[in-house]
Amino acid sequence: MKRSLLFSIAAVAALAVAMPGVAATVKGPAAGKTVKIGVIADVTGAAAVYGVSQKNAYDLANDDLKSGRIDTGGANLSFDVQDAASDGNQVVNLFQKFTTDGTTPLVLGPTLSGEAKRGDPVAVRASMPVLGTSTTADGITDLGPCVFRVSLSEAQVIPTTVAKTHALWKYKTAAIIYGDDNAFTKTNGDIFKDQLDKAGVQIVDTETFHQGDKDFQASLTKIQAKKPDVLVIGALFPEGTKIIEQATKLGFKTHMMGGNGLNSSQMYDVAGPGARGTVVGAAWFLGGGYSGNAAFVANYKKKFGSDPDQFAAQSYAAAQVAAELVRAGKITKADMCTGLRDLHIVQTVLGPIAFDANRDVRSAPVILQIVKGGFAYLH
Amino acid sequence: MIAQQLINGLLLGAVYALFAIGYTLVFGVLDILNLAHAAIFMLAAFATWSMLGAGLPLPLAFLLAVVLAGILGVLLDRIAFAPLRRRNAGTLIPLISSIGMAIIFGAIARGIYGVDERHFTLPLLDAPPMRFGPVTFTTVEISIFALAIVLMLVLTYVMRATPLGRRIRAVAEDSVAAQLLGVNLEHTIGATFFIASALGGAAGILTALQYNSVTVDMGGQIELKGLAVIILGGMGSITGAVIGGFVLGGVETLAIAYNLSEWRDALAFGVMFLILIIRPRGIFGKRALRAA
Repeated sequence: MKRSLLFSIAAVAALAVAMPGVAATVKGPAAGKTVKIGVIADVTGAAAVYGVSQKNAYDLANDDLKSGRIDTGGANLSFDVQDAASDGNQVVNLFQKFTTDGTTPLVLGPTLSGEAKRGDPVAVRASMPVLGTSTTADGITDLGPCVFRVSLSEAQVIPTTVAKTHALWKYKTAAIIYGDDNAFTKTNGDIFKDQLDKAGVQIVDTETFHQGDKDFQASLTKIQAKKPDVLVIGALFPEGTKIIEQATKLGFKTHMMGGNGLNSSQMYDVAGPGARGTVVGAAWFLGGGYSGNAAFVANYKKKFGSDPDQFAAQSYAAAQVAAELVRAGKITKADMCTGLRDLHIVQTVLGPIAFDANRDVRSAPVILQIVKGGFAYLH
Repeated sequence: MIAQQLINGLLLGAVYALFAIGYTLVFGVLDILNLAHAAIFMLAAFATWSMLGAGLPLPLAFLLAVVLAGILGVLLDRIAFAPLRRRNAGTLIPLISSIGMAIIFGAIARGIYGVDERHFTLPLLDAPPMRFGPVTFTTVEISIFALAIVLMLVLTYVMRATPLGRRIRAVAEDSVAAQLLGVNLEHTIGATFFIASALGGAAGILTALQYNSVTVDMGGQIELKGLAVIILGGMGSITGAVIGGFVLGGVETLAIAYNLSEWRDALAFGVMFLILIIRPRGIFGKRALRAA
């Protein structure tokens, strides 16, 4: 089963790469119908740095729907982005709005895992399917039978990251620094610890921080005294760059690695030359060769003046999945849920994806290394 | 390791102290908490970022942004506090008014700069760190520490030895009596807001340079700590704010050094709680500003 799915994914990928311009123009079962998909994103507030990328991706997807670059089989699909303002109460309110407006068959979002844990149950009670795009913490898809996510969970990415780096660097000791007040970074730290334990790596120090912290020198000074072979960083971009920058300043010579949170094209520019060589296990690569990715990156940059990040790519992929459902005539809540469950393979900017029995996305993680000006695959 | 940790604590404490003395200065004079102080801290950092981007040299950009922060402080007083003062609105309503101004300042910054983190591109920030035995620090860090200390000393001098300082202390002591003695109340309060906000702005710029990061929410992260520092030091006490800043920076750093990183904030606030049980008015007590 697994082999046949992988074969199918490879076959579709090969076909899509060979014929990148292929796009169905045939009218589908939903031709002429209007479908509005609800989106909940933190466009303002503390998580706006991620939510704005997500909103941008949906704005671009709305453009691409109008121009026909995303095919819906003739249906009038649009994404209605609502700002949750990084406020859990607002997330709940927006879920209530979408579940009671009588027109929304699917909700994409919210931005943070903690918000999903609060808001998704509202959708579950209303039999509203939810497709998360950046909610990578443990237990999100367990919230309900129609809760899916296109974001690779940390549990799917980190084992590959540890296996590859351990084989390459043959390290014996590691130190971990992670944020303990954020579901994503906490999960990041926990899974890294678990995987390092399984690999027989001794963890010589574990340090925690809080989201928004800027000064990590006390923790890094302590870690430095323990002389680990590897420094594991469970952080999002703002804190991750400062940890790398300050570790470099303190004279760290150890290898460094982290998860999805460090996957930003600005890592090198912001963290400085000391970031070179840092390994990042991620769900998407700016320079990835999947069909449509180059066009997505170019169009995004043209519209917004900067490279898309992983949050944008995952949101755009969710838009592609939603469009595929609409193209197949799935425009009610029940049909969207069964459509997602039965989805075979969709070609997205993340590569060909499908969902497993636990409603988690099935796609391959990418293990990258920071190089001057960006990322390269780890070899 | 402990030597480096002490340096880390001093650097952290200097910025906390610089932020907190502006906070406490306004409280000492007006008995109100100016919760828009953190917004000015953020706006000054953005102003510096813009001016550096426009090609101005760092010292000039710093100076202009500090003056701008001071002017914003005066405007803040004229818009949010002065009308309430004329109506004897007490202390709670101005607090709400300052929260409103903080939200407005934040919305303006978000509108102009967006939500992305901004960074400086200064050769100074790329200078290699200096190492002295077990201790490492950068040129920026040592400059920031020195500048923070100089600004605190200048403020102390202004408060103790200049006519303006005497007027501010007189208003803090008894505004009615000060007016009877010929002190122009509104002018003195305006000057207090200018100095307090200029110092808050300087703290914002130095924090932004130290961590090479300017964000719309950067003020929110220091606001609560600044409040804790001035309560610990004694509401209205400049010396207390300085000592409180260094105590907080030191406790936070040492908590991490002694394997308590998960308890860092809880420990820092726990120590403050203990000090406040022993000295409920803070280390230097209320109204110490009069004797500054």
